[in-house]
Amino acid sequence: MKDQLHRLDQLNRRQFVARAAKTALGVSILPIGAAKPLLAAGGGKAQHCIFFYMSGGMTHMETFDPKPGAETGGQTKGIPTGVAGVQLAEYMPELAKRFKDIAVVRSMTQKTGDHRGGAYWMRTSYEPKATIIHPSMGPWAQTLLGKRHDTLPDSVVIGGGGEHPGAGFFGPALSPLPIGDPDKGVQNAKPYNGVGEDLFNKRMDLMNTFDDSFRRKFQTDEVKAYTQFYEETLKLMKSEDLETFDLAKEKGYDEKVQRYGNTRIGKGAMLAKRLVGSGVRFVEVVSGGWDMHNDLWNAIPRTGGELDKALAALIDDLKAEGLFEKTLIVLGTEFGRTPVINANGGRDHHPRVFSTLFAGGGIVGGQVYGSSDDKGIAVKENPVEAPDFNATIAHAMGIDLNKVVYAPSGRPFLVAGHTLDTKTQQIVSEGKPLLPLFS
Amino acid sequence: MKNRTLHRCLAVLLTGGILLASNSLRAEARTWTSADGRTLQAEFAGTSGAGANATVKLKMADGSVIDYPIAKLSEQDRLFVKGNLPTDPTALAAEIDKLVMNKLKESYYGLQAELAALPQKTNLTPEEKAKRKQEIEREMQMCAPNPMTNDNQFLRRIYLDLAGRIPTYDEADAFLNDRSPDKRAKLIDKLLDSEGFVMRMYNYYSDILRIREGIVMMGNGSLKSDPYMEWVKQSIREDKPFDVMVRELLTAQGKVWESPAVGYLVTDQGMRLCNLSNTFTIFMGTEITCAQCHDHPFEEVYQMDFFKMAAFMGQTETNASGRDMMAMGGGGDYRAEIDRMNKVLLDAGRLGRNQTVDQNLGQWISTHRIQVVETAKNTIVLPHDYKYDDAEPNEPVNADTYFGDKMDLSKYETPREAFADWVVSPGNPRFTINTVNRFWKIAFGLAQIEPVYNIPGHLDGQAQNYELLAFLEEMMKDLDFSVKGFFRVLYNTQAYQREAETLTPSLTQVDQGSYHFPGPILRRMSAEQIWDSLVALTTANPESVLRKGADSYKEIMNIDFASLKTADEIEKWKKDWSNVSRLEKYNGEVVSRDDNVGGAQMFRASELRQPMPPEHFLRMFGQSDKQLIENSFTTGSSPQVMALLNGEITNRVLTSPDAYLIKEIAYGKGSKRDNIDKIFLSVLSRYPTSQEKSMAQSGMRAKTDRDMSDQQKMQAEALAIGNVIWALVNTREFMFIQ
Repeated sequence: MKDQLHRLDQLNRRQFVARAAKTALGVSILPIGAAKPLLAAGGGKAQHCIFFYMSGGMTHMETFDPKPGAETGGQTKGIPTGVAGVQLAEYMPELAKRFKDIAVVRSMTQKTGDHRGGAYWMRTSYEPKATIIHPSMGPWAQTLLGKRHDTLPDSVVIGGGGEHPGAGFFGPALSPLPIGDPDKGVQNAKPYNGVGEDLFNKRMDLMNTFDDSFRRKFQTDEVKAYTQFYEETLKLMKSEDLETFDLAKEKGYDEKVQRYGNTRIGKGAMLAKRLVGSGVRFVEVVSGGWDMHNDLWNAIPRTGGELDKALAALIDDLKAEGLFEKTLIVLGTEFGRTPVINANGGRDHHPRVFSTLFAGGGIVGGQVYGSSDDKGIAVKENPVEAPDFNATIAHAMGIDLNKVVYAPSGRPFLVAGHTLDTKTQQIVSEGKPLLPLFS
Repeated sequence: MKNRTLHRCLAVLLTGGILLASNSLRAEARTWTSADGRTLQAEFAGTSGAGANATVKLKMADGSVIDYPIAKLSEQDRLFVKGNLPTDPTALAAEIDKLVMNKLKESYYGLQAELAALPQKTNLTPEEKAKRKQEIEREMQMCAPNPMTNDNQFLRRIYLDLAGRIPTYDEADAFLNDRSPDKRAKLIDKLLDSEGFVMRMYNYYSDILRIREGIVMMGNGSLKSDPYMEWVKQSIREDKPFDVMVRELLTAQGKVWESPAVGYLVTDQGMRLCNLSNTFTIFMGTEITCAQCHDHPFEEVYQMDFFKMAAFMGQTETNASGRDMMAMGGGGDYRAEIDRMNKVLLDAGRLGRNQTVDQNLGQWISTHRIQVVETAKNTIVLPHDYKYDDAEPNEPVNADTYFGDKMDLSKYETPREAFADWVVSPGNPRFTINTVNRFWKIAFGLAQIEPVYNIPGHLDGQAQNYELLAFLEEMMKDLDFSVKGFFRVLYNTQAYQREAETLTPSLTQVDQGSYHFPGPILRRMSAEQIWDSLVALTTANPESVLRKGADSYKEIMNIDFASLKTADEIEKWKKDWSNVSRLEKYNGEVVSRDDNVGGAQMFRASELRQPMPPEHFLRMFGQSDKQLIENSFTTGSSPQVMALLNGEITNRVLTSPDAYLIKEIAYGKGSKRDNIDKIFLSVLSRYPTSQEKSMAQSGMRAKTDRDMSDQQKMQAEALAIGNVIWALVNTREFMFIQ
């Protein structure tokens, strides 16, 4: 009996994977709008999410949790935000002006100080294991809410490196579409330089002739799937969807580059806005340069300034386009940096306490959640861990935190981590959303 | 239980066979002992059959000869006849073919009977009957053996399977024009001994072992993988018996540059419970990960079993700590050495603004700490939330096995050695089955038992072709786990040399193991096979560039750091470190940009970075990220198609004037018609049809005029040839292995 159960599960899994193979842009077509978002306790308003990932470990004391005057505060000054008693670091002037739209979490805490492990935990809510890859939030949203758009991918990662967990055990078909350089858009989407329409068509004719007898003989599912990919790709190459990824087509491009900044993160934010406006659900913008072991105060004006500018412009534009209330903006990182300044004028890895940020998508701005101690060393009140962080994202998007999903190996997982409720013996969400952030 | 089943099956199997054995051992009567202790006086009169099917011919005093199953003999007698067992691949292949044919027949008649009985079935609705009828008829089609491959099909497939790439034009030409009757067997032998086989198998091993740059899964990449990679390649090259190789992976001790096989344990540094799960998955086809946290929901594996197994590794650490471990080879204290060297660099003004330490230096030298060491204490305890009645949370656990042999720890220096012996011992019912099941999949595209990482505990009901599996298992043992020997037999079977199946086995067939191999499955090439085939189109000798670095890394890490006195010496050491993993040509030269083709490094995938960056062609087509066991994939996507239609590889690299194929054709003496043959043979390993030829001819017309320089003409020519190559590489025929 047990064996039979197990086999059934495997069969369903294979069928699931086979079904998932049909796609445009390499992302599977799941039923659109399969589940209604949950509208509990102020959540469920965010139809989209733009997640800024600050790779390398963003210093909390030079961004959202300055400690001017403390011996650990370094030379960083604070600036007012319009909310009594709340300051941001001097490198965030534009965000300080928009603080009424922003909620800052100052009591994040992590279990590890290694980049890969920390980044993995933040993106998946799970500790890294050598036996499974857990999915990141975009593919979770697609799985639990259904695909949002029929041809555009559900999730996109802009500027990501090789260590993104992607779709994890959901399989390659649900992987976020990677965009390396926001200016270049989708890789290889246009015919190669110098290959005109005539030549392209001539080559296609040759290909179809050469391949004819093989395709007639081998009508396996895989061969047919590839032929379908060719058809869909040709359609895609001619479709308007591609323009969505073409930043140069953005209205008022030059003026916007001025506001967002002519930087990776600025253009990433701009492309994210454009994608969200066209229907993409989850966009992650990855931006590096935060691993400031050396000469921190030489680097922070630039790195911090670029972030400040990009995020501020994004908030302004989302508001102007009426997207702010339905788009959650999140900023995360793997850990903070040591309050003690090291021998090289930098700060080292510090998982004990750090900061993150939420805005839009039902978040009430102008508030700070949790706090660190006077020196920025440890959490003083309301500790928030990676699962809580992701539970907050899921809550804003109306994702059921307690929905169990089984990996191909049969193991159960939840969107914001899981734990056993000893009373009911049920698997429940480990992460708890930060409800005070919501209206 | 398990062994009894095995013997029962063998007994069923012991039908006739081919008389093969020589008379060399024939002598006077000796005493024979069976496995259950009975004895008999008889002369050795040869053997018949092969592998698990083999029987020994015993000549009795009265002159009569009886066939006695070798499997039923005592261990001692088995050894006695072993030297005389047929290991001739052709004979073994013939036995496999017999078993495959029997099963196809049996399956056909079974389905026929079910079809005949279908109308009388009262428990099915007419719709269900119609559906089942369709399924049966489809499955019956897959019971007829496919026609044999022609030479072109065989050539292409065997190169892809054994050398990991398509044959070059010259290789194709040589084989097709060879008139000798045993040319297929000869080609198999040749390819098994080629460097291509090493590369091809390496790609497989690195997928299951997750071999990557930096080795440590959650590490910072400071440890070099070169020694471990080279060790795996060398093991393949010298045909190290698979059980020996696995044992070395599990028992290695020390630093990776001294004892490269430690790479296996170091990979999962800090995650030894995961490492144990992985060992079960990779080497025993058993998924016990769930028992890490609770009793297995579907099989008889308890959480306690898991921790008892884990206890075998409980004294093994992958991160040396304590002052003793920090000491380097020369006896120096590495912390003190790093401080000293930092000061030298600082004083010489070699550090950056506001910098007082060179972090690379510290990170690189401190990889001395990453090593496999045995400690005195078993640190495995039950988890803090252990919830079963048989023990308390956090209680220590003693090592014990839950299937196979019981191990006597007092006979071993470390529990880990006992564990390694248990894994590879003949008494382990899953080790050999797992090996042959996985290798069968490599050759045939589908395993006998799917999924390969989860062979059910009670095999007989689940593996439909149990006789074949049992035969392969015995054969592997008889071949002393020779990987090359095993593949030599598989590739010599008719079953393998038939055309690929034109239908897709249904999910039910895959799950139940009821696809019985009328031919191999039609497979999409792996990412590495695609890439390496493109390498074969662009370079004259695709295996001429190899990754080197294992030896120099050892030298660099074993240097006496005290000898690095000046800033220049320290910086030279750093530079040597950075350049350790390098690509070398056959003449020992390090490759440079000049060796690129069309701007790309067209070298075999096994020699490049492991894995390649996510945006690389290899990753797009499914190269594993080396994070999980078998994380490679062969499913399609639009980004792949876009890369083939519009990407640099098909548009620039393959048509580059530096590309071997282009050079051969553009500079070659052949006529245009010959050139088209050449292109087809190079890309698809076959000649064009007449229709294809005339299409190609018009496609290859270059736009040239008299005013063009020779170089311009040449480029126009290359571009025109490129149209045909582009079109061929974009075909499904190129992408799939038939």
